[in-house]
Amino acid sequence: MRKWLMLCALLSIIILAAACAAPADSGSDTASSSDTAAADGETSEGAVLRLGINAADLSSLDPHFASGTQDRTVVSMVFNGLVRYSPGDAPNIEPDLATAIPEPEATDDGKQVWTFELRQGVMCHAGPETEAYELTADDVVYSLQKSANPDRSAFAGEYDGMTVEKVDDYTVSITMDTPLSPVLFLPKIADYAGGFIVCSQAIEAVGDEAFKTHPVGTGPFMFESYTPQDRVVLTANPDYFRGAPKLAGVEGRYMPDISSRELGLRAGELDVIHGLDEAQWVDAISGEEGLAVDVFGVGEVATIYFNIDAEPFDKPEVRKAIAYALNRDAFLALFGPGIADNVYSPVPAQFMDGGLTKDDVDALDLEYAYDPEMARELLAEAGLADGFSFPVVSSEMNAYRKVYEAMQAQLAEVGIDMQVDVVDHSSMHSLIRDDANPVVVYVAFRPNADVYLTRFFHSDSIVVTGAKPDTNFSHYAAIDDLIDSARAETDEAAQIELWKEAQVQILEDMVAYPLMYQNQIYARSDKVDYGHPLNAIMNLNPQITEMTTIGQ
Amino acid sequence: MTTATLDANAQALQTISQRERMWRTFTQNKAAVVGLILVIIVALIALFAPVLAPHDPLRQDTFNRLAPPSSDYPLGQDDYGRDILSRTIYAARISLMVGILSVLAGGTIGTVIGIFAGYRGGATETFLMRVVDVLLAFPDLITGLLVLAVLGGGLFKMIIAIAIVISPRFARIAHGPTLALRERDHVLAARSIGVKEGRMLFRHILPNMLGELLVMASLWTASAIRIEANLSFIGLGVSPPTPTWGQMIRDGTVHLTTTPWFSIVPGIAVFVTVLAFNLLGDGLRDVLDPKLQN
Repeated sequence: MRKWLMLCALLSIIILAAACAAPADSGSDTASSSDTAAADGETSEGAVLRLGINAADLSSLDPHFASGTQDRTVVSMVFNGLVRYSPGDAPNIEPDLATAIPEPEATDDGKQVWTFELRQGVMCHAGPETEAYELTADDVVYSLQKSANPDRSAFAGEYDGMTVEKVDDYTVSITMDTPLSPVLFLPKIADYAGGFIVCSQAIEAVGDEAFKTHPVGTGPFMFESYTPQDRVVLTANPDYFRGAPKLAGVEGRYMPDISSRELGLRAGELDVIHGLDEAQWVDAISGEEGLAVDVFGVGEVATIYFNIDAEPFDKPEVRKAIAYALNRDAFLALFGPGIADNVYSPVPAQFMDGGLTKDDVDALDLEYAYDPEMARELLAEAGLADGFSFPVVSSEMNAYRKVYEAMQAQLAEVGIDMQVDVVDHSSMHSLIRDDANPVVVYVAFRPNADVYLTRFFHSDSIVVTGAKPDTNFSHYAAIDDLIDSARAETDEAAQIELWKEAQVQILEDMVAYPLMYQNQIYARSDKVDYGHPLNAIMNLNPQITEMTTIGQ
Repeated sequence: MTTATLDANAQALQTISQRERMWRTFTQNKAAVVGLILVIIVALIALFAPVLAPHDPLRQDTFNRLAPPSSDYPLGQDDYGRDILSRTIYAARISLMVGILSVLAGGTIGTVIGIFAGYRGGATETFLMRVVDVLLAFPDLITGLLVLAVLGGGLFKMIIAIAIVISPRFARIAHGPTLALRERDHVLAARSIGVKEGRMLFRHILPNMLGELLVMASLWTASAIRIEANLSFIGLGVSPPTPTWGQMIRDGTVHLTTTPWFSIVPGIAVFVTVLAFNLLGDGLRDVLDPKLQN
């Protein structure tokens, strides 16, 4: 037994020593493997792009249920919308299945009508039970009605008050009960969430459940196969209306572990991977020969919400004290330069209209810049000079845990003891929707200011007690009028002013502390060319289109 | 009564020479001595953590996160800019606390169940030992996961979870010897003069298997430390910001290619501590196990 143990000890020491040496070696390995790949002269056109997806498995490839990045990544290649965000350049919008973006018409009864002409000759992929067929107005009507049906869509709330009618085979009219400005209307029919157009015959033939693992659309890539917890395979759609893709297909591999994805990329077994939101990681990979890293928007915004119905956060002084105790720059440093940036209002001014910039909040004295002395004074004013303690739950995911742990240390400096209990990600989501946290950190991207404000600050959205409980963790009900009037305002400038006004109110009451946004990080072989710029992408992935190539 | 006193005196005389013999056997086993020394060192590190740690293990300095080893931070800084050396030192406290308390709790409960089942026999024995069998059927980590999933995370709950993992092992170990001991003359004699059940179990049966239990305790302390590291590694451990080795290894894995020392330092700490308790347990077995003594 003793000899056996000694042998084990010796073996473990050797393994540890090898582990210590591994990073130095792996660099040279990568260089040589990429050299080999270059020498081999990989085929360019007709290559299959291998994509390392940061997830253990898909959740739904029915685009109207695809809410995770891993699913949005796949459905954005299979489906189109009536309009689309310009590839790599959201929020600019251009026609997709429609031939042009129409001007809305007002009706006598105060409604608004948008009439879309459809492209002709757009082909639905062949499905498991259906042949390829031409997409018509029937499919568009069917699809938007599906999006509005809460039993068949996760985004039904977005389609309240919308009536879709077929005018003829290539014309669709959409009537809005309440007129909307283009900035609020167009995202509903864009290539994002409920706006994706599904092929009605295919989904009717297989049923909703089967459609979740066998999507049929009109996009540049067609679904071929799915192996649970392993991969999803797409092939090029030769009849794509913008021209056949330059790639032969895309193979998405489900790999939740960053080390595995990174090794796959370094070894040349993957062409594109979801990276790590760390400046050091970005630098390390960028420094490798044959590899490149893209850091792009849209950024998911981390905001801290205070439940104003919970003691002691019902006192504005306490909420403001916490705001002053937090150091935005220290949070940014957690991710490193370039990966994250500050935001100064719940709607990120960097990505959409209606947000407040640093200059805006400076002018109004609403920046809440780091000032621990001020924090202590405010706590003393609230009768909490000795501090207080409160419990929160955090997800085990880095994007949350990092923020909670950094916040914990910063609040400790002013005498506030925040006890963090780490739970799994889905448990955190259900607990915070059950009011478990008096202070909630939430990281999310929403397509426009109206969605941000409605879902996080409208009284209908208050968690547990709201009319339509959503993500108003603050229990805030003071800006309903502003949100509603902004939504009904069709003059864009006036609408933006109303949104800004709403946010000034939020900051004055300090019901939410806007912290930062985090960019998307993807690494690739430098032979991969997406075929479009990478500024901001709604579906949070680099967007593989018919123009994407893998070069020589 | 007189017989019992005489027995006790004879035993006391024997014990002195027996202790010397045991110590000699133990010191002859070099690996066991190394294990003992390492355990003492780890215990001293845990005890004097506030003196030994050069920095506050909780103080963050995010502007210098993942900084490499330097004169001020000999083992570098973690992903919040905290001192890795200080955190590794403080984490020894948690590991030892979890290791010792969970074995103490699990060992006590398991032993009582094992002895009671073995002594009572019949339906009680069948019921208790089948429950133990069911618990033994699950791998350690799965049982720990199940318990933590029900109870939630945290230090105290982690100790309970590991105690539940450990207790059936002790029940099994205590059960076997009890079956033999209950038929021994001194037990039959005690029963015949009407000694109560509780006294019987703890005065006449338990002392005869203490050696084996001690060996088990030492070996399972190592396992408890390992299980704690495993559970912390998968994110079900002690709440932040308390440092634990498993959590540190977990936090470091995503940085393995850029800042490997972040995971390797706590990894070595777990390795050394688990090895130390295993070597110590092995040495104790040599000393206390009558079969091996021969």
